[in-house]
Amino acid sequence: MSAPAQEADSPFDGGKAPASPRADLVTAAVLFALGVAIILQAWQMPRFVEQSGTGLTAPGIVPGFYGAMIASLAGVLGLRAVRRGGWAVRAQRGPATGDGRQLLMAAVLGVAYAGVLVGRVPFWLASALFVFAFTAAFEWNQGPDRRARRIIEAALIGLGTGLAVTLVFEKLFLLRLP
Amino acid sequence: MTDAFGMLMGGFAHVLGGGAVWHALWAVLIGIVIGALPGLTATMGVALLTTLTFGMGANVAMLVLVCVYVGAIYGGSRSAILLNIPGTPASAASTLDGFPLARQGLAGRAMGISTAGSWLGTLFGTLILALFAPSFGEFALQFGSYEMFWVAMFGIIIAGSLSGGDPLKGYIAGFLGLFVATIGQETNHAYARFAFGNGDLAGGLGLLPVLVGVFGVAEVLSAMRGPAVKAASSKIDSVIPRIRDITMYWKTILRSGALGTFIGAMPGLGEDIAAWTSYAAAKRASKEREKYGKGSIEGLMAAETGESACVPGAIIPVLTLAVPGSAPAAVLMAAMMIHGLNPGPMLAITSPEFIYQIVAMLVIADMVKLFYGLILVRPLLWILLIPRARLMPVVFVLCTVGAFAITSRLFDIWVMLGAGLVGFILRELRFPMAPLVLGIVLGDLLDKNLLRGLVLSGGDLTPFFTRPISMGLCVLTLAAAAWSIPGVTGLFRRRAAATP
Repeated sequence: MSAPAQEADSPFDGGKAPASPRADLVTAAVLFALGVAIILQAWQMPRFVEQSGTGLTAPGIVPGFYGAMIASLAGVLGLRAVRRGGWAVRAQRGPATGDGRQLLMAAVLGVAYAGVLVGRVPFWLASALFVFAFTAAFEWNQGPDRRARRIIEAALIGLGTGLAVTLVFEKLFLLRLP
Repeated sequence: MTDAFGMLMGGFAHVLGGGAVWHALWAVLIGIVIGALPGLTATMGVALLTTLTFGMGANVAMLVLVCVYVGAIYGGSRSAILLNIPGTPASAASTLDGFPLARQGLAGRAMGISTAGSWLGTLFGTLILALFAPSFGEFALQFGSYEMFWVAMFGIIIAGSLSGGDPLKGYIAGFLGLFVATIGQETNHAYARFAFGNGDLAGGLGLLPVLVGVFGVAEVLSAMRGPAVKAASSKIDSVIPRIRDITMYWKTILRSGALGTFIGAMPGLGEDIAAWTSYAAAKRASKEREKYGKGSIEGLMAAETGESACVPGAIIPVLTLAVPGSAPAAVLMAAMMIHGLNPGPMLAITSPEFIYQIVAMLVIADMVKLFYGLILVRPLLWILLIPRARLMPVVFVLCTVGAFAITSRLFDIWVMLGAGLVGFILRELRFPMAPLVLGIVLGDLLDKNLLRGLVLSGGDLTPFFTRPISMGLCVLTLAAAAWSIPGVTGLFRRRAAATP
């Protein structure tokens, strides 16, 4: 039996470890800027006073309200982060961790597939290439033992996925694929 | 009463026609597998399967999605018991006693308890839905624009307050979701908000691509970042639920069922809150508290009953108010709209039989779940051990298909990617996702009703606060917001402590 891999987090216990005050401060600044930008955009929207007679159906009212709420709440988040030492504590920049590299690799492969390959090459081929590349890349570090076998398996899984998805969605459920 | 019984029988007859059992069999199975696999959630499952239902009739589509929802919430307990990793967030509470039972060599018994609790929980919640949803739907007919505005606000605030650790971040996530819903043409003047001259943005961000991004792409990224899942025990004892485990804890089952259904009916809270609340309530009332966390049968039963009772509970506000009770219910509601069903107060007038058809679907899904609970143990263990490096790219491909299929726009794939990356960053910064989703789903409702209310009152805000139901909802919303302010809760606790 394996050791406990991960403790359960109760939402009432505050979930996982909270974000650092520094991260909260930066987030608050970004959200505050977003809230202000929404308010400015909403203010510049036409009011349609002539059509409605009152201007109460102006398209900017509701987003302006949301923008004001986002900016206000971001302000509170920022103040709280400052009170918790977000201004004083400098973020510690360490070397990229293994987790970070894996995340970057997954994100780059995902964007390359959905943003570049899909729509430019046949969907089954794009999917097969993506699944193969993803599997092979993440299993590469498992050591040289049986690496060739793992790569062949990755190619088969990729091909199988590309063909199965195309068949099931296009032929069975009659959906259009990109 | 006779009418209701007749409509219930009619609902079963309607649903059971047209190969319902076959659809229920495959859909519950897919739901269980999705729920069991760490990294794949019920919300993602319902969103992805919505794609598959485009070509189906509305009735079959709803049956499939209800089955996936019911199956996924149950499936999460498999990995919670065998791997100590909740397959879905809803099953997190099940790890506390499920995994210790498995370590004691009682994995089969734990799964039997989970099956019995989940089955009874869904049945209890469905009974409440059948009894109260029609009359609540009729009551909701009194809701006008002012009341619907407060219902939407209450949903955002209560979800923000309770769905994560930090209410402030919950509120921000809720308002971000509401903002996302404003992108594109509004209804009064067809003015394209935040489109910047882009035709695709003027059409708005599709609900499904955004949800697939937030729950699919973001989860793939999260899964690839975390540690790999290690192998579980391959020795499993009998999974047949013991009658004594049920009769001994009948009070816990009833309490957890009631709590789970009630929490499900509160907008935006969802199954994880239901499970934890049921678990905490059972522990407080238990005579064997010392066993909790070390393999308590009662604790596992409470968590499983609570989370599964929440599923029908979360569908109650969908049918009566068009406000989802949980994130998967939000996607289910979106799917109802895609299929031309209009959930909300008018449902009680236009098609009251639909509520009973949903009841029939839930009962069928629950029965199929029980069937799989008894037979589907070892094959599921093999599926659980599929390496994530092989599973996640396939999930990503399905996400891409799901985002594209509804309108066949490549733009929707970009929306999915953008929503996924933003969703991942927000998660890393500890923003809860439930209020975000609720904001996106409720955005249109809030927008229309706020403006309609202002137009009806000639710009006067007082009806929002003075009409009786409006006032009640406003007080509830403000109370929910006040409750999240640390000083207020501290004051209540001090007073409670001071009371002899």
